[in-house]
Amino acid sequence: MSAPAVIETHALTKVFGQQRALDSVDLRVVPGAIGLLGPNGAGKSTFMKCLLQLQPITSGSAKLLGREVGTEGREIRKRVGYTPEQDCHIPGMVGCEYVTYCAQLCGLPFQVARQRAHEMFDFVGMGQERYRKVDTYSTGMKQRLKLAQAIVHDPEIIFLDEPTNGLDPKGQEQILDLVQRLWVTYGMTVVLSSHLLRDVDRICEQIIIIARGRVLVHDSLENLKARRLGAAEVVLAGGHHELQTACAARGWTCEPLPNGHVKVEHKADSLNPLLKLLHGLQLAPLEVIPSPNALEEAFVQALELSNGGS
Amino acid sequence: MAVHDTNYQHWKGVHIGLWRRRLVIASNGVTRCLQVKGMRHIVTMCWMAALAMTAILFFVGQLLVPDGLIVQWMGNLNPQLQMFARLLTTWLEQHPETSVGATQNVLFYYFCTLLMPLNIFSLGVVVPLLITRDLASNAIIIYSSKAVSPADYLLGKFATAFGLLTLTWLGPVCAAWFLGNLLAPDWRFFWHSRAVLGHALIFCISSMGLLSLLALGVSAVSSKEKTTPAFWFMWWIVGGVVAPIARQTQPWLQHMSFSFDLQQIAITSFHIGSDIKTAQDNIPILGDMLREIPPRTIAVLSSPAIKGALVALLLMLVAVALVIRKRVKPE
Repeated sequence: MSAPAVIETHALTKVFGQQRALDSVDLRVVPGAIGLLGPNGAGKSTFMKCLLQLQPITSGSAKLLGREVGTEGREIRKRVGYTPEQDCHIPGMVGCEYVTYCAQLCGLPFQVARQRAHEMFDFVGMGQERYRKVDTYSTGMKQRLKLAQAIVHDPEIIFLDEPTNGLDPKGQEQILDLVQRLWVTYGMTVVLSSHLLRDVDRICEQIIIIARGRVLVHDSLENLKARRLGAAEVVLAGGHHELQTACAARGWTCEPLPNGHVKVEHKADSLNPLLKLLHGLQLAPLEVIPSPNALEEAFVQALELSNGGS
Repeated sequence: MAVHDTNYQHWKGVHIGLWRRRLVIASNGVTRCLQVKGMRHIVTMCWMAALAMTAILFFVGQLLVPDGLIVQWMGNLNPQLQMFARLLTTWLEQHPETSVGATQNVLFYYFCTLLMPLNIFSLGVVVPLLITRDLASNAIIIYSSKAVSPADYLLGKFATAFGLLTLTWLGPVCAAWFLGNLLAPDWRFFWHSRAVLGHALIFCISSMGLLSLLALGVSAVSSKEKTTPAFWFMWWIVGGVVAPIARQTQPWLQHMSFSFDLQQIAITSFHIGSDIKTAQDNIPILGDMLREIPPRTIAVLSSPAIKGALVALLLMLVAVALVIRKRVKPE
């Protein structure tokens, strides 16, 4: 945690009438791929909007990229990208013009903006569609366009609000792949807000779970999974019965899953006892998935804690 | 697995300044507005009017000098007409401030106020493109997430409306003044009509600023693209109907009409009442013609209700500010 923080908040609070959308949020987030998880209405979008100054903060303070959100909004937004959840294109504009315009609004000279707009269309995998009016785009194209406009000015951090909404599985996979590359290959900090655990599990290293406007969990995905060590999902070609018998003899729970895998709760800190057992039974697993559903369980646990505490 | 082979490139260049970014909003807005066919027609009409005004100025200019083309043509047609024209031009030569200054002042007053309804109409055509469409399409969120503040956005939108009016109002007026005097038989016409240009600039720029702000406010009233032009035209038409009726009963009600208020600014800027009086008293023939104007009209032109107009416009601007403050935000 010695890296400089990209997001820092102190008692960040946002109130809408009687409702506290954010309740004294204290966070220090370092660069990386950050997953912002929470049920609908948890305060994820409000948190991002407060950081981007799209919503005024009621009380507390926030820093983004080391700058004070309340006073340096324009400078901050020069270095930040944002893809909102809803459609928000300028009607009547051609895709290429739109992304060029967005780049110019972020301070890029026209020639550079035009060139980068084309590069971004190439990056997000849009070909001739860039010359069509944005009004005619499909949902998938609009999601790509949103991503292109958000990264065209080469931001240091990008906020993605439900970027896979309305996409088919293939489209989701492609968008997530692009987002993952932004951090892994190009070092752009990514804050992914989603209620889809699979998306977050797929690309994020740090997890922030928000519910009822409060941060319930802020930890690395690795640590969250470590909390759930002692369980594994084994993919076998055969020998399920032998494994179940052997597990029962050791007092482990072994449960066949509908997808044909076997879930084993071996209660150990590492996979070694399970691997030894499989070796002893001369079973060659096709795959062993440690701590399956760790994120989901952490998410549910956090929510239960939040509900119990309220 | 990477979906595409194209690599992302970082950019470490120098950002353009804030005013350039505001200008980007304005130029993009003007481009969008000019994509509306009706708007292009209005621009063409305004520039045609400017050419017509240039022709009138050329004609008047030729009348004001003894060896002008018109006088020569009249001489060829009828020697008596030429004699009369020579008499007129001799007198006008002796009073250039009146002959050139007052004549052009009256002409430009009518030209500027003639273009006003056309410009109000043009704003009605583009009013949904200013803010309404951004509210409807949530594009306001995109602006708010970029390196511009809400004030920058509004400045850009104001400049859009102002820029359009420059194309359809200030531009034609200035062009007509310049071309009209360029085609005049004497360079001194520029000098004698300098005050006219000043009057036209004061009126046009102040009216354009006020109309642009009012249009911004109306554009922010609703996110429905049919509502805002309807609101604009209703306000204009109702004001236009109410003003003449209110003159007889409750004169303060006239100020509900922004076009009436702008008319008062025009009368004040051009000092039109005093120019008509000067012409009546000093210019032969034209003075006799101007004496036909009813005294009541002369009284209206001599003492415009400028204070009431300014107060009414100020109140309208306050209402605009409140609407914009309430409506122009991301959520």
